[in-house]
Amino acid sequence: MGLAYEFDWGVLWRNPYGMYLLQGIWVTIKLGLIGWAIALSLGVLIGTVRISPWRWLRLIGTAYVEIFRNIPFMVQLFFWYYAGPMLFGEALQYRINSIIGLNYYVAIIALGMYTASRVAEHTRAGFSAISRDHYYAALSTGLTHPQMYRHVIIPYALRIIIPPLTTEFLTIFKNSSIAMTIGVLETTFMSYKIDSETFHGLESTTGACLIYLALGLVVVRLMGILESRLKIPGMIGR
Amino acid sequence: MIQIKDMSKWYGDFQVLKDITEEIKQGQTVVVCGPSGSGKSTLLRCINGLEPFQKGEIFVDGVSVSDPATNLYKLRTEIGMVFQRFELYPHMTAIQNITLAPMKARSKPRKEAEAKAMELLQRVGIPDKAHEYPANLSGGQQQRVAIARSLVMEPKIMMFDEPTSALDPEMIKEVLDVMIGLSKGGMTMIVVTHEMGFAREVSDEIIFMDEGMIIERGTDISFFQKPKNPRTKEFLDKILI
Ligand SMILES: Nc1ncnc2c1ncn2[C@@H]1O[C@H](COP(=O)(O)OP(=O)(O)OP(=O)(O)O)[C@@H](O)[C@H]1O
Ligand SMILES: [Mg+2]
Repeated sequence: MGLAYEFDWGVLWRNPYGMYLLQGIWVTIKLGLIGWAIALSLGVLIGTVRISPWRWLRLIGTAYVEIFRNIPFMVQLFFWYYAGPMLFGEALQYRINSIIGLNYYVAIIALGMYTASRVAEHTRAGFSAISRDHYYAALSTGLTHPQMYRHVIIPYALRIIIPPLTTEFLTIFKNSSIAMTIGVLETTFMSYKIDSETFHGLESTTGACLIYLALGLVVVRLMGILESRLKIPGMIGR
Repeated sequence: MIQIKDMSKWYGDFQVLKDITEEIKQGQTVVVCGPSGSGKSTLLRCINGLEPFQKGEIFVDGVSVSDPATNLYKLRTEIGMVFQRFELYPHMTAIQNITLAPMKARSKPRKEAEAKAMELLQRVGIPDKAHEYPANLSGGQQQRVAIARSLVMEPKIMMFDEPTSALDPEMIKEVLDVMIGLSKGGMTMIVVTHEMGFAREVSDEIIFMDEGMIIERGTDISFFQKPKNPRTKEFLDKILI
């Protein structure tokens, strides 16, 4: 009568558990990708706003970055999920609360907005790595400020900051696991669910580890390809 | 073509430019020299409105630079500017660097912009480098692309901010030759440089700046032979060794 733990790796693929994990992976990928799309566009915009000539725009940008990067992500998630709908007033609040899948939307937006604050900081660092004369060169040919950013400064800055952006892209997948705390059925949630139904938490969490690792490696590979595609020709590889 | 009247500029409490008055007529080439930090670059940046100034006035072809009603973007298309470190867009080929502004700021069709760019690359002597990226070009070639990038807007004025001081000696000449060609072709030019050979050959006036002021001016002969100000003499002794 051994009390030794009996491994059952079958919980990773047996019905319905295998399906749980697949669903979880799909949700994790959606959270990560859509969250990243928001983070990148919003982050670059805010990073740009922070060096704009308009003071009040800069202030808004700075306030955004400081608020979102200094509050723990989980607290932000709770805030948006529980308090967020109240911000829209009583009438809308009930309609928002009755949206099916509200927690998914909240998780995606929260991930996007949190990561955007970090992307904004990297973008700003990229901008300040470009010399003042480079901006002036673009302006002196008659480009407007928006044209200068769109065609000269942002493409250059993004290339400079691809390595830290890769880290942020990785982190958004890892942070997406926190969405389980508001009941989003992503990978981590599903691995707990398998544990609670089978008591094979060791196997299910190992499975989750491998899934995140695999996703991370894919991201690194993709960003590596992107980096070599966009590499500024003739410049020494970083 | 350019009139600067009693112009002063401050960075906070620090006065960079002090009561600058200068007139540059069409077709003239004016050389600006002076020690580091004397405000030469800042003066150029005020002329095309890249930086604001607090006192006095600057007119470019009759248009006031500090007038809020002036469209600075349009004004800048008429004043080309060339920088010490070239400042080519590194993610674009030579020809893309040149065609960007005509296509975006003047909505020229690509074909037309490229034809014009090729013509200019020919003129600065590197038509074969059209599809090279800046990092694959020598400093002298990069600077000539930068000159073509300015010329493509068909400016009335060209400003050069130490265009050869980041270049190896063997490349200085190829850039200076292009500039001499421009000057002799009737371009109105302001050139910050310490290349006194260039100044002797083409300048109509040389001005010497120190601590934000023009402390000496003259046509080249008077300037080199008997500087009135001891600071000028000291400076000339240093660069004319
Ligand atoms: N954005 C700025 N804020 C404050 N001070 C500045 C700024 N830009 C330039 N300065 C100061 O203004 C002075 C003039 O600078 P400027 O670059 O015009 O000099 P310069 O004559 O071009 O010198 P160099 O030969 O080194 O290029 C310097 O003392 C410089 O430190
Ligand atoms: Mg300078």
